[in-house]
Amino acid sequence: MLRTGARRRRPPLLAPAVVVIGVVLAVVPLLYLFSVSLMGRNELVAGVLVPSDPQWSNWSEAVAGTTLTQAVLNSVLAAVGGALLSLALALPGAWALSRRGTGGRTLLATVMSPWLLPPIVAVVPLLTLLRILGLTNSLLGLTLVYGLVNLPVAVWLLQAFLHRIPGEIDEAAQLDGAGPLRVLTSIVLPLAGPSLVAVGLIVTLLGYSEFLLASFLTQDAASQTLPVHLSLLLGERVAEYGKIAAAAMVGILPVLVIALTLQRRLVEGLTAGAVK
Amino acid sequence: MVSPLILTVLVLGAYPLVFIVGASLTESTLGNPFQEWAGLASAREVVASSDVTDALARGAGYAVGVAALSTVLGVVLALALLGLRRGGGLARGLLLLPLMTPPVVVAIVWRLVFNPAGGLLATLLGAVGYEGQAVAVLSSPGLALLGVAIADTWQWTPLVMLLVYAGLLGLDREVLEAAALDGAHGLRLVRHVVLPSVAGVVLAAFFVRLVLAFKVYDLVAVMTAGGPGQSTTVPSYLIHQAALQQFDLDRAAVITLLLAVVVTVVTVPVALLTRKVER
Repeated sequence: MLRTGARRRRPPLLAPAVVVIGVVLAVVPLLYLFSVSLMGRNELVAGVLVPSDPQWSNWSEAVAGTTLTQAVLNSVLAAVGGALLSLALALPGAWALSRRGTGGRTLLATVMSPWLLPPIVAVVPLLTLLRILGLTNSLLGLTLVYGLVNLPVAVWLLQAFLHRIPGEIDEAAQLDGAGPLRVLTSIVLPLAGPSLVAVGLIVTLLGYSEFLLASFLTQDAASQTLPVHLSLLLGERVAEYGKIAAAAMVGILPVLVIALTLQRRLVEGLTAGAVK
Repeated sequence: MVSPLILTVLVLGAYPLVFIVGASLTESTLGNPFQEWAGLASAREVVASSDVTDALARGAGYAVGVAALSTVLGVVLALALLGLRRGGGLARGLLLLPLMTPPVVVAIVWRLVFNPAGGLLATLLGAVGYEGQAVAVLSSPGLALLGVAIADTWQWTPLVMLLVYAGLLGLDREVLEAAALDGAHGLRLVRHVVLPSVAGVVLAAFFVRLVLAFKVYDLVAVMTAGGPGQSTTVPSYLIHQAALQQFDLDRAAVITLLLAVVVTVVTVPVALLTRKVER
């Protein structure tokens, strides 16, 4: 057996210690949410960390006879629909940007500029616009808004991916007589597949979590999204924390499953704009 | 090819800008904007109001503080992740969970943690022998903004960590090994070789974090509703109050323009510095 490992300096314990502290700080608040979702009213005020007699009734009360599942479904529909719209609109633009020089950089900066300001800036103008179009209080209106609002982020991340596809490939296709649309659908689209999944995942999560626009654009029960539903539970006169925690758990379960199973895709998408 | 992008810039950039400038110069309510020309009357009124200037200063201080804290913690975590021999994938997955959690749920989690009657913080303080009065973080004027900042930092530090970690993975292994052969180890290697070579990525992450911190709205709306008093009224929340609770659209529009100026003044130097360092 080679003994080179023994001669090397022992790895410092600092790094694992820092990571463990970080993981504990990241996970404990979420575990506590789960714990509260199983607490009865007495345990809530008694300062208990783990309920002795789990009250699963909180979960059934949060779901049964409420609009929670409808709200989760609404969030999924608006998020996925918005993400597909963002991707469809962003791909041609991102491709064009990644194939141009300085002109592309200026246009990219212009497209990104609305993202720099807090979204509250655009709420009233967008609300007025949707009112004129008759799309307030409808899931369709919210989906359109998400598609548009997340488009700058989608363009930014996608063009970083598309930079890595060599320009010679589409030049060769053009020489063979393919028009821009043909190059886009039969050359760029297949090559960009994995990056579309990564970017799509991120814009879907952004849409699923969005609260500000949803709280203004969808106020009736039929079109409410998950964040709006949860905020209304908190606003009730007697806030039942056990039930609220259970509803929040139901709402984040799909996200947590995605985060842990598709971690690699997520990381690829999140870091695309940062690394060249 | 770029026409959808131009449409987006028009709908998200140009149209709101024209709308807001218009609303700030006219008598406007939410239901009935642009009633009659008012010139700079509402602008003068708003600039003179200490509620507004306080909120803008609070928002800028909050953004810089939260962004700085997240960046320091994110860099430390990224370096630690890089130093791990095993278990990196699992640790990274768990560390990303706060980032995936919707902000409204983040706000609920931290309301429960800070709940003075039996919350996690009160329980832990009790367990280490603290016997004074329960600390009501979110209802004390001096601590409420700190409580929101903790929740915000918890949520977004993983993004900084991830961006810096990706930058670290892109470092040239040979340079690091050469420095190690020259006797640079541990923290010295980090300080003199590793950190300078990822300075651009760290600054870019700080910039993104700064922009996100200026956007804080959900946490304030759910955790404190701007209170107690005005102690957590950040600009986004003030605009929301003016436009959608008081229906005073021209006041909201002027605050919005002022906020745009403040965000620009704070973020542009960081963006310029980032570009300079990356070159």
